[in-house]
Amino acid sequence: MSKIEEVKAKVEAGKSKLVPGLVQEALDEGSAPGEILQAMVDSMSVVGDKFSSGEIFVPEMLIAAKAMSKGVEVLKPLMTGDGSASLGTCIIGTVAGDLHDIGKNLVSMMIESAGFDMVDLGVDVPAATFVQAVNDNQNVKLVACSGLLTTTMPALKEAVQTIKAAHPDVNVIVGGAPVTPEYAAEVGADGYAPDAGSAAVKAKELATA
Amino acid sequence: MLTKRQNLMEVIKGGNPDRFVNQYEFMDLIMEAPMDLPLAPAPGTRVKNKWGITFDWPADQIGSFPMHDDEHKALKDITNWKESVTAPSVFYTDEEWAAAEAHAKAVDRNDKFVTAFCAPGIFEMTHHLMSMEDALMALYEEPEAMKELIDYVVEYELAYAKEVIKHIHPDALFHHDDWGSQRSSFISPEMFDEFILPAYKKVYGYWKANGVELIIHHSDSYAANLVPAMIEMGIDIWQGVMTTNNVPELIKQYGGKISFMGDIDSGRVDFPGWTRELIYADAKKACEECGKLYFIPNLSQGLNISSFPGVYEATSEVIDELSKEMF
Repeated sequence: MSKIEEVKAKVEAGKSKLVPGLVQEALDEGSAPGEILQAMVDSMSVVGDKFSSGEIFVPEMLIAAKAMSKGVEVLKPLMTGDGSASLGTCIIGTVAGDLHDIGKNLVSMMIESAGFDMVDLGVDVPAATFVQAVNDNQNVKLVACSGLLTTTMPALKEAVQTIKAAHPDVNVIVGGAPVTPEYAAEVGADGYAPDAGSAAVKAKELATA
Repeated sequence: MLTKRQNLMEVIKGGNPDRFVNQYEFMDLIMEAPMDLPLAPAPGTRVKNKWGITFDWPADQIGSFPMHDDEHKALKDITNWKESVTAPSVFYTDEEWAAAEAHAKAVDRNDKFVTAFCAPGIFEMTHHLMSMEDALMALYEEPEAMKELIDYVVEYELAYAKEVIKHIHPDALFHHDDWGSQRSSFISPEMFDEFILPAYKKVYGYWKANGVELIIHHSDSYAANLVPAMIEMGIDIWQGVMTTNNVPELIKQYGGKISFMGDIDSGRVDFPGWTRELIYADAKKACEECGKLYFIPNLSQGLNISSFPGVYEATSEVIDELSKEMF
C-alpha cells in the first residue's frame, strides 16, 4: 500500500496518532501536499457517506475528523497561501434563540473536512450577524444555518431571507431536526441536508456548481 | 373498569385493557425525593451542581444546557477523571425525605405505581461532565478510563437507589438517559453493548431485585437499534419513543418483551401555535397504527408536562376521546 493510501485508510479509521507520521512519510516520498490533502478529503467523504447511510455513528466520524485535522497540521506550513486547496469560506451558526450546538459542530467539522475554511459563529446567532460575517470574511461561498427547535424555525427563515437579500450570490444551506427539504425550499434556502455527511456533499456541490 | 395500574399491566402483558393507558397516568412520580439538582431549575437561572457541572437556562429558552467552555467544563481530561470528578453524597436527613415519604404513603398503590425518578442517566452524565464530542471520542481513545468513569457513576446510582428504596419503597422507576438523535443512536449497538448495557444491567437489576416491578426508561430519540439491549437490561417500557423508530414495526417485533410509550412527537405538536386538531391527528394515527397492546400513547416529552401551556392536558383529553372511539 502506498503511503497516500495508508493515510487515507488511517484517516477513515480515525487513527489520529498515526496519521501525522504517515503524512510526513508521504511527503518524504515526494507526494505533493495538495495530493495528500485531497486523499484525506476523499477519506472524509467516505466517512460522511457511511454516516449518512447509518453504517457508522458519531464517535467514528469524530475520530476520523480528528485524525484528518492532525494530518492537516503537518501540511499547513507547506500550504500557506495556497488558496487553490480551499473550496472557499463557509460561515456556520445556530440561529437566534437556539442554543443547540452538537449537530452544528458535526456539520462544521464535516464541511471543513470537505475542504472549506470555516468561520463558526456559535449558537444563538442573529440574522444580521450572519450577514456581517459574510461582509467581514473573504471568499465566502456558503452560509450554513442550523435550527433544532420548532420554536426557532421563524428565526431560521429570517436568517435565510436576510442573508439572501444582502448576498444573493452566496449559497445558504439549512438543517436541524424540524427542517425538511420542503421547508428549506419554502424559506428560500439553496440547499438542505439531513445529516453532517450529506451537508458536506451538499456544500461541495453548491460551491463547485 | 380497571384501575390505572391494572390497565397498564393488561397493556404490557398482552391482556385485555379496557382503554388506552393515558400518558403518565399510571405513574405517581415522587418528585419530592431529595436528589442532587441536575439541571438549572427555571428560565434565567444558572447553577453549578454537586458534580461540578454548570447548567445554564437562558430566560428565552425552553430548557437548560450543560456548559462546556474552558471555564465551565467539569472534566477536561478523561485520563484524570479521578482527580476531577467527585460524586455527591447520597445521604439526606429524615427531614429532607419527609415530603417524599408522605407523598408515597398517600398513593393508592392499587391505582398507581409509586414511581422513583432518576436523571440524568449514565451516558448523559459522561457528556454533561466532558461535552458530547469529548465523551464520544473517549469511548475510542480512552476506553478503560471511560469504563472506570461509568463504573463510578453506576456505584453512585446504586447507592442512591438504596436510599430511595429504603425511604419510599417504589413500585416503578422512571429513569432518563437520551441515547440518540431524532434519526440515529449516538453510538453503535456494539459500542452500546460494551459500555452502556453492562452499566444498566447492574442498575436496573438492583432496582428490580429490591421491589421495583416496572422500569420505564426515557430516551426521546431514535433508538430502535438498541431495543434488544433495552430488553436485556430489564426495561419494561421505553418512554419517549419517536415516530422515526417505526413504532408499529417495533411492536410487531418486540411486543411482549417490552412496551413502547410515545409515538406522538412533542416537536410536532408542542409549540406556541399548537392546536387540538394537530394533536388529535397525530394521536389518532399513533393509536390506529400501534394498536391496543404494548403501546401507550404519549408525548415524547420526558415528564408529565409540555413546553407550552395546555398541550399535555389537551393530549390527555384527545387520548380519552380515542379510547371511547376505539375500545
